Amino acid sequence: VSADEGGHQPVVRLWLLLLALLACAAGCTKSSPEVVVYTSVDQVFSEPVLKEFERHSGVTVRAVYDTEETKSTGVLNRLIAESASPQADVFWSGDPMRPFLLIKRGLVERYASPNAADIPSAFKAADGTWTGFAARARVLLVNRSRLGTGPRPTSIRDLADPRWRGQTAIANPLYGTTTMHTAALSVTWGDAATKAFFEQLKANGVRIASSNGEVKRLVTSGEVIFGLTDTDDANEALRDGAPVDIVFPDADGAGTLVMPTAVVLMKNGPHGESARKLIDYLLSPSVEQQMALAAAHLPLRASIAPPRGFKGVSDIAAMPVDYGQLATEVERIQPWLRTWVGL
Amino acid sequence: LILFVFCAAPLLHLTSELLLSARPALHVLASPRPWELLLRSLFLASAVTVLALGLGLPLGLSIARTDLRGRTSLWLLHAFPMFLPPFLLALGWFELLGRQGMLGGDWTATWLFSEAGLIAVLALTFTPIVTSLVALSLSGMDATQEEAARAVARSWRVATRILLPSARPAIALAAIIVFALSLSELGVPMFLRVDVYPAAVFARLGGMAYAPGEATALALPLLAVAIALLLIERRVVGKRTFAIAGLRGLARTPLPLGRWRLPVTLAGWGLALGGFLPLIALAAHAIRNQGFRQLQNWSGSAPWTSLITAVVAASVIAALGLVIGHAFARRLRGSATLDALAMLSFVTPAAVLGIGLVGLWNRPATSAVYGSTAILMIGYIARYSIVGIRTAASVIRQSPVQLEEAAAITGASAWRRLTRIVLPANARGLAAAWLLALVFCLRDLDSAVLYYPAGGEPLPVRIFTLEANGPPGVVAALCVAQVVLTAAALAAGSLLLLRGRTN
Repeated sequence: VSADEGGHQPVVRLWLLLLALLACAAGCTKSSPEVVVYTSVDQVFSEPVLKEFERHSGVTVRAVYDTEETKSTGVLNRLIAESASPQADVFWSGDPMRPFLLIKRGLVERYASPNAADIPSAFKAADGTWTGFAARARVLLVNRSRLGTGPRPTSIRDLADPRWRGQTAIANPLYGTTTMHTAALSVTWGDAATKAFFEQLKANGVRIASSNGEVKRLVTSGEVIFGLTDTDDANEALRDGAPVDIVFPDADGAGTLVMPTAVVLMKNGPHGESARKLIDYLLSPSVEQQMALAAAHLPLRASIAPPRGFKGVSDIAAMPVDYGQLATEVERIQPWLRTWVGL
Repeated sequence: LILFVFCAAPLLHLTSELLLSARPALHVLASPRPWELLLRSLFLASAVTVLALGLGLPLGLSIARTDLRGRTSLWLLHAFPMFLPPFLLALGWFELLGRQGMLGGDWTATWLFSEAGLIAVLALTFTPIVTSLVALSLSGMDATQEEAARAVARSWRVATRILLPSARPAIALAAIIVFALSLSELGVPMFLRVDVYPAAVFARLGGMAYAPGEATALALPLLAVAIALLLIERRVVGKRTFAIAGLRGLARTPLPLGRWRLPVTLAGWGLALGGFLPLIALAAHAIRNQGFRQLQNWSGSAPWTSLITAVVAASVIAALGLVIGHAFARRLRGSATLDALAMLSFVTPAAVLGIGLVGLWNRPATSAVYGSTAILMIGYIARYSIVGIRTAASVIRQSPVQLEEAAAITGASAWRRLTRIVLPANARGLAAAWLLALVFCLRDLDSAVLYYPAGGEPLPVRIFTLEANGPPGVVAALCVAQVVLTAAALAAGSLLLLRGRTN
């Protein structure tokens, strides 16, 4: 035993020392200014913007990104779960509806950034609780090769058309922008019509993809003829050279749903000053330009050109919606949606 | 105390939440749909278990006790994928069998995104657990019975009448582990668009209507299943043990396969290489799309975060394994309760445990812990301490108790006996426990994704958040980085273990 003792004790001590160093390296915080941002904007687009802010300001950005499956709800729920002791300073939401769920719970601090002065009033709160910029729209992504020479879908009602039975896809409406779209339909069409439409979708064999990115995959690979997705996902398909067309649906009907990304200042966040700096930066024209070029987000400022192949926001026949009302509606329809999905 | 703080406290926090404020949430169980989903999940998990046993049993037997060609290399190759996040393997199968995959087409894509595809992907992912436990069990068994049987019976009868019955505890344990892992798996069914029960739990946590109370209520039937599994395990496996640190059987004269040697060898190697196909597809995709060139831009500090947090957590888990595993092996009072607590923490759905951890640690007083990578380590310890406890217990149970008894008679304290006798005498086994805990921590995704600190995500989480919209080549390259990290950890650990054996 003593021989073993002699052999093992120094190793154990060395190991404990190494562990202490590692634990310190992992747990010790930096003394430089920092800001914590939670975002549901795709990491592939948001991370370069946040890194640029770091370079520009010297403020270290610590970010939490959402997964595609829980888009906009994973970090949102985390913000709610952490409300007793807020960790985040800024929430950069992929849509303008989620911030209302935080506003309703009193988790948001008002901040009207000077850089938001030229953003149209329809896309920001007058009291500074949220500010929108760099928008997306809900579009139909159509596989030209699979469609052939037949008529093109022009409305989201075409998803339930028996002509395309089993050949269409939407993302899981429990998550992401599809939730918001469902709430918008419910507000615009009414509860009964929306429920009937979703039952028709089911009867028509619509594929329920795990995310909008998955809808894009299904369309570009030709597994379905067309699907409902967001402009940034549609742009990815175009960029990959897939044989696809983008349709802004219901131009002569209820209109296309337009969703600016939105930024809010969290109440009692640990780094208030840095948070304001970050919000000012995100709302600058240069970031909106960057989001248009890199992520095909539609600029809200008329002075910035829309991404190639897309319309400007002012040229879209937009669905007239109140984002705050959608936030209330989305909570109301959740139990029904869960039943519809089968969970 | 450590085990209580890390494992029991989040579970108790959840229970108190449920009792105090979320009792109305129990109504969610009144609807028939959750029960239909539970039945469906139980069926899928049973099918995965049966398939994994069907593949893993003969392979484990062949590796441990036959003259199969290259069986040690085959074992290593076959076992490796079980140390990777199942989601990563599903992504690899998609690169291979998706409509635009390397071997893909309409039929393969339809098959992959179905219940059959889910069963096959999970079964192939978890088969190495069966193979390895059966092979370990047979390698460590007493040779006398087998030798006596070989004198009078053919290989086939020796295998079916002597070897397999003696491996029954290991087979039962493997079946329980595979069943539990399949039942709680969330990432793969969500990716393959198959509805399962854990998705119903997750819909209350990741969906728009945040309902942690309902999620906890829905987790109750899963906990009941987990407790049932624990009881079955206690009854079937009991206190029986099998060698985990020694592979004596590999050195014994193997059973001759005769004319079956070539087909069995081909089948074994085919299965092992089949398990590697998704990894090859990911690597090919990364190369084709120049993912490795951009890897540095997109990996951030995630690989280091993964490694550092896993090393620290695995070390704490190994230390817990020494103390509690020793107590469990020597049947000390209270040890069975602690073991059950750790097991419950392991089988509780990761998302539910995650919510418990957030509720417990996200307070002003513990904000520094919650906001740093320390919370990752706490989560790993809560979830995987059972790995260290069971491995250590298995090893310690095989070491003689006399030395400890002699030391106790001479007045050595329990702590002194533990550090001066048990630790040195079982150093290799405890190192194996550390290594096993390390790879479990490295592969964790389901729980860390809920509470990873801002700017401190481990590599599997980074792959998950980039998966849908990140550059596809980069995502594949990140998956390969995860494979390399795991392989390096295993290789370094195995070298240390082998060095310890030769010394």
